[in-house]
Amino acid sequence: MTREKMGNILVWILIIGFGVWGLPGIMDRFANGHINTAYGSYIPWGLWISAYIWLIGLSAGALMISVMTYVFNVEAVKKVGKMAFLVAIATLVGAMISVGLDLGHPLRAFSLILDPNLHSMMGWMAVLYSAYFVTLCVELYFAIKKEQARGEKQKSIKKILTVLGIWSIPLAFAFHGGVGGVFANVVAKPFWHGPMLPVVFLAGAFLSGGALFATVAYIWRPSQSKDEFIKMMVFLGKTTLALLILDEILELSEVYVGTFYSAYGEGHLWQQILFGQYWYTFWIVHLLIGVLVPLFLLTAKSKSPGAIALAGLLIAGSFLAVRLNIVIPGMLDPEIKGIASAWVHSKLTFSYLPSMMEWQVLFFIVAVVMAVFMIGKKVLPIYQTAGDE
Amino acid sequence: MSKEELSKVSENLTLETDESRRDFLDKFTKGIFGGLVAGGVVSALAPVQAKANKDGSNLNFSTAFEPFVLPPEHPGEDAILRMMRDLQRALKKPIEQRHWNMVIDLRKCVGCDACSVSCAAENKLPPGVIYRPVIQQEIGSYPNVGHVTLPRPCMQCDEPPCVPVCPAEATWKRPDGIVIVDYDQCIGCRYCLNACPYDARTFDFGVEYIDGAADAPKVFLGKDKAGKYETEASFEYAKEWKREDDKSPIGNARKCHFCIPRIEKGMLPECVVTCIGRATYFGDGSDPDSLVAELIALPNAFRLKEEVGTHPSVYYIK
Ligand code: SF4
Ligand code: SF4
Repeated sequence: MTREKMGNILVWILIIGFGVWGLPGIMDRFANGHINTAYGSYIPWGLWISAYIWLIGLSAGALMISVMTYVFNVEAVKKVGKMAFLVAIATLVGAMISVGLDLGHPLRAFSLILDPNLHSMMGWMAVLYSAYFVTLCVELYFAIKKEQARGEKQKSIKKILTVLGIWSIPLAFAFHGGVGGVFANVVAKPFWHGPMLPVVFLAGAFLSGGALFATVAYIWRPSQSKDEFIKMMVFLGKTTLALLILDEILELSEVYVGTFYSAYGEGHLWQQILFGQYWYTFWIVHLLIGVLVPLFLLTAKSKSPGAIALAGLLIAGSFLAVRLNIVIPGMLDPEIKGIASAWVHSKLTFSYLPSMMEWQVLFFIVAVVMAVFMIGKKVLPIYQTAGDE
Repeated sequence: MSKEELSKVSENLTLETDESRRDFLDKFTKGIFGGLVAGGVVSALAPVQAKANKDGSNLNFSTAFEPFVLPPEHPGEDAILRMMRDLQRALKKPIEQRHWNMVIDLRKCVGCDACSVSCAAENKLPPGVIYRPVIQQEIGSYPNVGHVTLPRPCMQCDEPPCVPVCPAEATWKRPDGIVIVDYDQCIGCRYCLNACPYDARTFDFGVEYIDGAADAPKVFLGKDKAGKYETEASFEYAKEWKREDDKSPIGNARKCHFCIPRIEKGMLPECVVTCIGRATYFGDGSDPDSLVAELIALPNAFRLKEEVGTHPSVYYIK
């Protein structure tokens, strides 16, 4: 069995498994709204908002691969630009479902696209995501058209793609830096507030999205010679490694500033992250699985494509832990000491562990993301490269 | 004077005083207790909600307001009466010329939670939604310990961080200083909950007090009877809100609004009239003759988290 076939079977099994397991959660969400979630009024955002940043980050990262293809003409990824668009679209769809289900009145959100409050970072998100979605679809359309066209026509489409690619660079910076801004602009939450967060978000997005793409490209490689394939994987591996190092430098800086004089500022929140109840999210899921093992795999001498793909999968998957560790700690401090015991209810607490229903919904969303990718891959000529010049 | 004559005089006297007392009590109860209960039946006011209203042009309800007849000012009267007079004066002004303020005297608050409970009853708040919790704080260490009880309504900030963050423009500041939420516009993203430095907003998750209660009609007082509270409409923002079928205000951010429907009918906010320690004061801070304006000027008046630059409309006295 080819790697692609095995990948297909495995992913479809996961889609069905996650879908079946997640379905009751989705049904619960529609039947009971937000009642069975673990977030409340004092920790208003939880797993779904973290998943939304995770997924939108993956999307932005995948988009950057396409930019390498169509703007910078990077030889190694020249055949996978269309697939990068598809990954970006699938993860964007997932992100939108995740944030949509998090809303109290999801249907009203559509009005934001036409009439957003531009004083609100979240209002901007509505505009930017719409622009991003349209851009991705148009880019994918032209990327497919380009393979079917010949001669002059192909050249002009190539130009269009370059222009669209250039446009998507500031767009990606805006919409993902902007998500960072959604948090960074909240003065009431010192853990989020500050100029670092948008940068950290961007670095994380490019890392996790690029890493995911390494896995995808490994399993569903386009028709290319073995040499080309190895070149592509090595390039993706190197990019991922560079971004991983950059991301870790940023994280180290955050941890160091946050903990050095731990008696002041947000030191106690870092204490929570590092040594609190959910310490394993940082040390095991993030640091071990998401950083150290991939670092080992990516720096190994052999440069085996399989190892690079595995590293990519580990980074991309575990990045949800990074997002959770940004979103949740920011809300752990009561604004006024003693408020949690003033009026007691399960929705008025300062602790958060996602409920089973929240996980089910998340897994369902992941199943949808994978399904969008698999179906897109099947119906669209993603692999077609004939006529490429 | 014979015994008979004497008793006649005294009878007359009693009658006279009884009458005036009755008259006074009548007016007084009309003013205070009418204010206490009538909040629930106010629905004739124009709703404060459309986006176009933000300039406040259609927010002045003073014309629709028929002032209560209040007893004449007299020394030693209850502060409630003075505040009601202040309120009536304020309502005669255009909306943009009044600025509602609240002052809470921490020395007088006994931490009984009456305000929290009456607010919940007035606004039919479901479990998990609270507009005015009373926070209990222990200060110092043994043997030198103290206790502070701190009621925390929405501060109706003059620079409200909850307003600009709203992607749907569903929350804004009225010209009279009250920050409101348009339930029909709010998408329930909870960004404002995170932006408020006082945790003053809570989200209506659709939880009900009778969730999980036994349901056996005719056998015992089951869900249908016990749940009557849940089906009662609230009249926030002078509109009827029934919490059913995921409709607003379920799925919305909710917060204290200084009891707009009450104050615009000349009634003080529910928490002010139920405060047993008479620790909560309310009125038009822009009126130099009002009680709140006097209290705000006290040297021991302060505002919460002054350093975050929100300019709260709620003051505390310690
Ligand atoms: S206290 Fe909070 S909810 Fe109230 S106006 Fe200020 S920021 Fe907004
Ligand atoms: S929860 Fe409602 S009022 Fe608050 S920011 Fe979101 S849309 Fe605006």
